[in-house]
Amino acid sequence: MHSLLLMALSLPSWQDEQPFLVTGLALGGVYALSGVGMIVLYRTTGVLNLSFGAVGAFGALIAWQLINHSGMNQWLAYLICVLFAGAVTLAYGMIFGPPLARRDPLVKTTATLGLTLILLGVMDLLWTSSGGASRSITLPTDNHGFLIGQVQVTTTDVIALAVGVVLTVVTTVFLRFTKLGTAMRAMANDREITATLGVPVRRVEAAAWFGCGILSGIAGILLADLVALDATTLTFLVISSLAAALIARLSSVVVTFIAAIVVGVVDAMVTPITSLTNYRDMTPFVLAAVALLILNRRRVLSLSRQGF
Amino acid sequence: MIEVSGLTVRFGGVTSLDGMEVTFEAGTCGLIGPNGAGKTTFFNVLSGFVRPAAGTVRAFGDDLLSMAHFRRARWGVRRTFQTEQAIEELSVYENVAMVHEHSRLRAATRREDVLGAISLVGLESVAYARVGTLGSGERRLVEVARAIVGKPRLVLLDEPAAGLPDEETAHLGQIIRGIPEHTGAMVILVDHDMSLVSGCCSRTAVLDFGKMIASGPTAEVLRDERVVRAYLGTEALA
Amino acid sequence: METAQAPQNVPSASPPAAPPRVERDLLIRGAVITVLIAAVLIVLPQVLSLYYIDAMTQVAVYAVVALGLGVLVGRVGLVSLGQAAVLAIGAWVAARLLFGTGLPYELVLLASGVITMLLGTLVGLPALRMRGLYLALITLMLAGAITVVLSSINFPNGGTGFAGYNGSQVHIPPLRRPSIAQTDPAYFRYSVIVGVVMFLLVLVHVRTRPGRAWAAIRQSEPAALAAGINTTAYKLWAFALASFITGVAGGVLAGAVKYLYAFDFQTQDSITLLAVVLMGGAYSMWGAIVAALLMQLLPAILNNVGLSPDWLTIIFGIGVLQVLTTAPRGIVDQVPRDLGRLARRIGILGRRSPTREEAAR
Repeated sequence: MHSLLLMALSLPSWQDEQPFLVTGLALGGVYALSGVGMIVLYRTTGVLNLSFGAVGAFGALIAWQLINHSGMNQWLAYLICVLFAGAVTLAYGMIFGPPLARRDPLVKTTATLGLTLILLGVMDLLWTSSGGASRSITLPTDNHGFLIGQVQVTTTDVIALAVGVVLTVVTTVFLRFTKLGTAMRAMANDREITATLGVPVRRVEAAAWFGCGILSGIAGILLADLVALDATTLTFLVISSLAAALIARLSSVVVTFIAAIVVGVVDAMVTPITSLTNYRDMTPFVLAAVALLILNRRRVLSLSRQGF
Repeated sequence: MIEVSGLTVRFGGVTSLDGMEVTFEAGTCGLIGPNGAGKTTFFNVLSGFVRPAAGTVRAFGDDLLSMAHFRRARWGVRRTFQTEQAIEELSVYENVAMVHEHSRLRAATRREDVLGAISLVGLESVAYARVGTLGSGERRLVEVARAIVGKPRLVLLDEPAAGLPDEETAHLGQIIRGIPEHTGAMVILVDHDMSLVSGCCSRTAVLDFGKMIASGPTAEVLRDERVVRAYLGTEALA
Repeated sequence: METAQAPQNVPSASPPAAPPRVERDLLIRGAVITVLIAAVLIVLPQVLSLYYIDAMTQVAVYAVVALGLGVLVGRVGLVSLGQAAVLAIGAWVAARLLFGTGLPYELVLLASGVITMLLGTLVGLPALRMRGLYLALITLMLAGAITVVLSSINFPNGGTGFAGYNGSQVHIPPLRRPSIAQTDPAYFRYSVIVGVVMFLLVLVHVRTRPGRAWAAIRQSEPAALAAGINTTAYKLWAFALASFITGVAGGVLAGAVKYLYAFDFQTQDSITLLAVVLMGGAYSMWGAIVAALLMQLLPAILNNVGLSPDWLTIIFGIGVLQVLTTAPRGIVDQVPRDLGRLARRIGILGRRSPTREEAAR
């Protein structure tokens, strides 16, 4: 009772919440981008790419290195980051996709944890965090912006939300109306049958892997700017997008978008509430856990063998 | 005796069993029909994996559908699956004992029952071998032993002979024929091997598109023109 | 059923379902393991430096944690990505009890095991409706949530109140150890003995009814149900057992490190744990020991020779991929097989020119 009262008393005013709403929407946009990328890959290949965050972090660190130590043009460095992320993800998909193709999604997903660990190890080796050297990526769009009421909104915030929205719309349209999109949706149901229908399964999968990688690169840069350029932080931010994807039961692109925005906004808006601020990072976990428990009430039985 | 009435199962828009009406008498009964006719779905209803949209199943007077699935096995419904289910890392003995562990019998009695089931399928020489070291025919027999250990009342065999060479099928047929006599259980046999079905089953029922299209003495059913058309294809008529 | 059909060559002594030869093998194996444990208890503290004794204490702790995850992954086929969080709960409970009560250490271990078990089962209860991928992901989520909570309320350090946390950084008393195991070598022996007890507890489960039920569930849930196994109860049982031994391990860890900090328990640890358990071999109890050596002894060695432990993270990543693509049974299965192959090859080389007799054979 006492703590409830305390909570109510310390609720911030709407005025105070506004900047956090902006941050939340921007983060939500990036989570949506990541979530949609993961879902499209999952629907096509059965792999839930848990290395999404690590690949993005690696790309962002490369970009940072190029900008700060080689004096490269910022945009070129970001392009390299995105292409690197695409290439690594594609390479992983081409090497480990085929031998694991017939395995359970659980096995395929666990395998991406292998890639995550490799990337984490290499990042910690190359960009040690000892010595307290903090790195950051500052997009030029951080300095442009405008006021809504009294709230400062940067162009980066707008871009972050916009990529989320645009990607969600484009993906939805793409899956529904293009030939490649139809092929991807068909493969979600049955890889073998789709192959016999004349769909170039390997090429469609490659497209999905590469696309997912590109998105992880974009998300990596945006999150490095919005949150922090730190290997572990960025790697495990994937959990927020994963939560959104899970709330959408790994199938609906639109639900993923909505869930991602909710995760981002709730997380950010809890920040100024003093009694809860320490627990704000639980947002994705709690939302996803509750959603999973509610959505998965039906028991599903399958005859396949469990585990590895 | 198993009385099935009005049994209907739908998956989304597909009606897999459509008001199935049939009565299986004691002894060994065949259940045949083309692929996708609903035979395995029917077994899944009996084992409790699929909840029907409508209909009842009375087994020896008990309402089967109201029992929790794992309790049905303890009540006496046993089955084999189309995919191999014998557990490789356990011995034949352990595989069979597992099914019989939940009865309230004395350990010595349980042990005798398990060994009895193993010798009934002719695996006594490998009773303590790991299933992983056995061939596929022997593994099939392990599953049959699991289905008949203890006091089963209804044994469901789902394509037990699929993929077996002829002589192993013949051996399996002998075992199946012996089940009612040795255990007192009734058997429902689903298989595509007509010589196995006609060799084991005095009566046979035929499913097609979720409906019973014939049932009666096996020889008569297999001559029925509708059955031949539905099941064996038109060229068989020629 | 006719009971007279029981074959003659089977001994009539009822419970153990194995012929005498297997029993003799078990006896030999038991003797070898006893000698091995004795060697670890007596010889290792003599020959190792304090640095490596500490590392081996961690190995003893993590072997139990890995065993718990091995039960879930290898025996039942349930993948948990949250075992490091369960370990943290065990350590938290133990620390709270050690500061707050004067209970003997063994009782503290038992209590932290039981409380962790209750919490783990509570969490597992709804999660058990899920399978495969979803279960793994929800454990990842829950572990993340637990990590956040722990880093907010902190580990007890002698303060008052429910959390037992004292914000001041000046006077932090160390966690106490059992009176019989105050020194590091003594505490190492103590951890090994606790570990052995936990291994025996799991062995008893694996070799009896729950073990067979778990094997059936892993093979296929419908088939297990059709065999009359209450799959929900047995899965919950596995969760409870794994949480219990992991909670006990947390209690041992508390006394081993003496000071506990939230940042010692990261989400990444749960992933590394799954990686080493898969590499070691989730299907065998030896795999748990290999996993613990990989996770705790190797970093200590690398540290000692001045190499970054980040190399290990990379190796574990490669290890996971290798295990999942080519050797699903892990190191404990693969290495003996590879050695056997190597030995055969050397044997062939050694016998380049077989004698006439040998050739005739």
